[in-house]
Amino acid sequence: MDLNFSKEDMAFQEEVKDFLDKEYPQHIREKMDNGDDLTREEIVEWHKIVAKKGWMGHSWPVEHGGTGWDATKRYIYLRELAMNGCPLFIPFGLQMVAPVIWTFGSQKQKEHYLPRILNFDDWWCQGYSEPGSGSDLASLKCKAERVGDEYVINGAKIWTTLAQHADWIFVLVRTQDTGKKQEGITFILVDMNTPGVEVKPIITIDGDHEVNYVFFNDVRVPAENVVGEEGQGWTYAKFLLFHERSSIAGAPQMRRAVNALMKRAEKIYHGDNPLSDDPSFKSKIAQFNLDLDALEMTELRGLAAEREGKGPGPESSLLKIKGTELQQRITTLALEAAGHEALPFGGPYGFKNEEISSPKIAQISAAKYLNFRKVTIYGGTNEIQKNIIAKAVLGI
Amino acid sequence: MNLSFTEEQILLKDSISKFCSTDYDFESRMKSVNSEKGYSPEHWRMFAELGWLAVPFSEEYGGLDGDQVDLSVVFEEFGKSLVVEPYLSNIVLAGGVLRRINWAEKGTFIEDLVSGSKQISLANYEPQKGYNLSNIDTAIDADGNLNGSKSTVLNATNADYFLVFTKNIDSYAFALVPKDAEGIEVKGYKTYDGFVSGELVFKNCKPEALISDENSLEVLENVILDALVCICSEAIGAMEKSYQLTIEYTKQREQFGQSLSKFQALQHRMVDMFMETEYAKSFLIKVLATEDDNEKVKLTYGLKNQISKAGKQVGEEAVQLHGGMGVTEEMSIGHYLKRLMVIANIFGSADYYLSKYIEK
Repeated sequence: MDLNFSKEDMAFQEEVKDFLDKEYPQHIREKMDNGDDLTREEIVEWHKIVAKKGWMGHSWPVEHGGTGWDATKRYIYLRELAMNGCPLFIPFGLQMVAPVIWTFGSQKQKEHYLPRILNFDDWWCQGYSEPGSGSDLASLKCKAERVGDEYVINGAKIWTTLAQHADWIFVLVRTQDTGKKQEGITFILVDMNTPGVEVKPIITIDGDHEVNYVFFNDVRVPAENVVGEEGQGWTYAKFLLFHERSSIAGAPQMRRAVNALMKRAEKIYHGDNPLSDDPSFKSKIAQFNLDLDALEMTELRGLAAEREGKGPGPESSLLKIKGTELQQRITTLALEAAGHEALPFGGPYGFKNEEISSPKIAQISAAKYLNFRKVTIYGGTNEIQKNIIAKAVLGI
Repeated sequence: MNLSFTEEQILLKDSISKFCSTDYDFESRMKSVNSEKGYSPEHWRMFAELGWLAVPFSEEYGGLDGDQVDLSVVFEEFGKSLVVEPYLSNIVLAGGVLRRINWAEKGTFIEDLVSGSKQISLANYEPQKGYNLSNIDTAIDADGNLNGSKSTVLNATNADYFLVFTKNIDSYAFALVPKDAEGIEVKGYKTYDGFVSGELVFKNCKPEALISDENSLEVLENVILDALVCICSEAIGAMEKSYQLTIEYTKQREQFGQSLSKFQALQHRMVDMFMETEYAKSFLIKVLATEDDNEKVKLTYGLKNQISKAGKQVGEEAVQLHGGMGVTEEMSIGHYLKRLMVIANIFGSADYYLSKYIEK
């Protein structure tokens, strides 16, 4: 057992660094470093650059166009991206629907969708939660009726991230009302341009428009868009959720954030001395770094297990809980460090505060803190994750 | 020992509570927040008519001679409804300076505050200079002109006058500057909890008056201590409302065939929120009931530490237990969290006041 990279791994690390030096566009880097929102075009631009390099499928098997990297390489790759502050990949196609398609989809679906996902030709979003079905996802009511060669969908989905940008949505629909609620759920792919699909924004407390309602009014979808078997959608949905949960821990991003905060703290004064010299601040940072070490190793163990052919299982709930708790801790630390410099808010009231002397990074710390309240709620609340661990891991 | 409110205090509490339940629902609050001024001038007039703006001032100026407990009562009720009218900035901060300062002409300014006809903001903090009150660069030069920058000037965009804490030769003073004076620039902004605030820049600005009380720093310190007690009281009101709203929501929201409130794991979380709130109340009462000045100062630092942490915990848990709905702008609960986080961090954080508590 050792933590050292092999010569080959170190050469790979250099290759990633070199790629980022040359290909990570300066205008995107600047926006990311300043905490500015990227446009849809810029997000697509970045994905296309990575796709061109052939590195989009970092978690994909070779047979579907993936890199086939081992755990160490994936770790190195994702860490380098994070340490450079690169935009996160939009996960809905790449990490969520793709594994479902290659595991349960038809040959035709694999051939059609997977290359388009890998090339970021389509922006995907996720139609899971409903206004009445959040934690109790299996109680979902969005209905699909088979009429000839089509399904007709009626219902509403909620919390659909970046649906305003999406070309496609994968949707859990109810095709049968009898029996257990988990039965009768079907996994179907819907073109967002289909008549009857309507996106309505939800503004969150950070003032952002990130999530949406998606309404379906008599939306007619070809029957061939069903993935796997009708009525088996719950099995695929759970499979997908394990993938989702294991991809949201975000240790490298947090390492970058905590290092940057510690550096900033040298110039932040609450009292007479810089915050970086303050014993309670220092102890909070140290505690955070220790917890982050443990999270990182847990992530690595997960990657290693995956490499041995064990797909992410219920253990991914652990990563989700611990990862999101730490994400909230770092955004809280940043907000506390910013103190009253965080008050100016360019949020929902349409003000932009560029001329205010308070540092930009302090000004966005409140929005960031508020935005990150969602992470312990989405992807299955952390309370639900604990139920999963209790039941599926501990057997109680 | 007597830990009860007086009859007058109960009357005050009831009148604010009645106003908030009839005239201050969440929708009208947000209408005020999103309006140009960021508060309702009509409400402000009502506050004046009902005598609430007169609470801490002496009878000589038309005040009610109220004390810290009276102010605490006002703020606890305000906290329950997230009142955005600029009471803290006008009455507690600027008014707090005026009623303590030794200045012959202060009467008309206090009377204008009491009647609500003028607004005054205190400007003491400076960009990136932290919370130590004497840590300022703004100064009066030999010609009597004011130079420097001020930040976190609460309600700056609505103020008719600014009371600017400044260096003055070897000491400190307050400069009174009208909003449209020559050499002043006001840069307003909205704060993340929906209030308005601003920064001021002075370039050779001639104050209308220079109030050079030799105790200026001590006055400012006492004003901030008062403000701490007020916002902590407000936080307690907001915490109480937060757990109540959470109980209501979890009773009505059903998942897995039953109300969320039936799940024991969630019940315990709500019990914790309730206990934190009660604990916070106890600490506040300890501060309010302490007579020794020195001890009271130390305990007020402790209060800010305790309330900052408790408010954060209760506010965050309330949002979490509301699930996705909790992070939406359209629901009130997230706005309670925002106010609680601002309270936790203005005038200095929990850690800042813990170290002041230890030093005192």
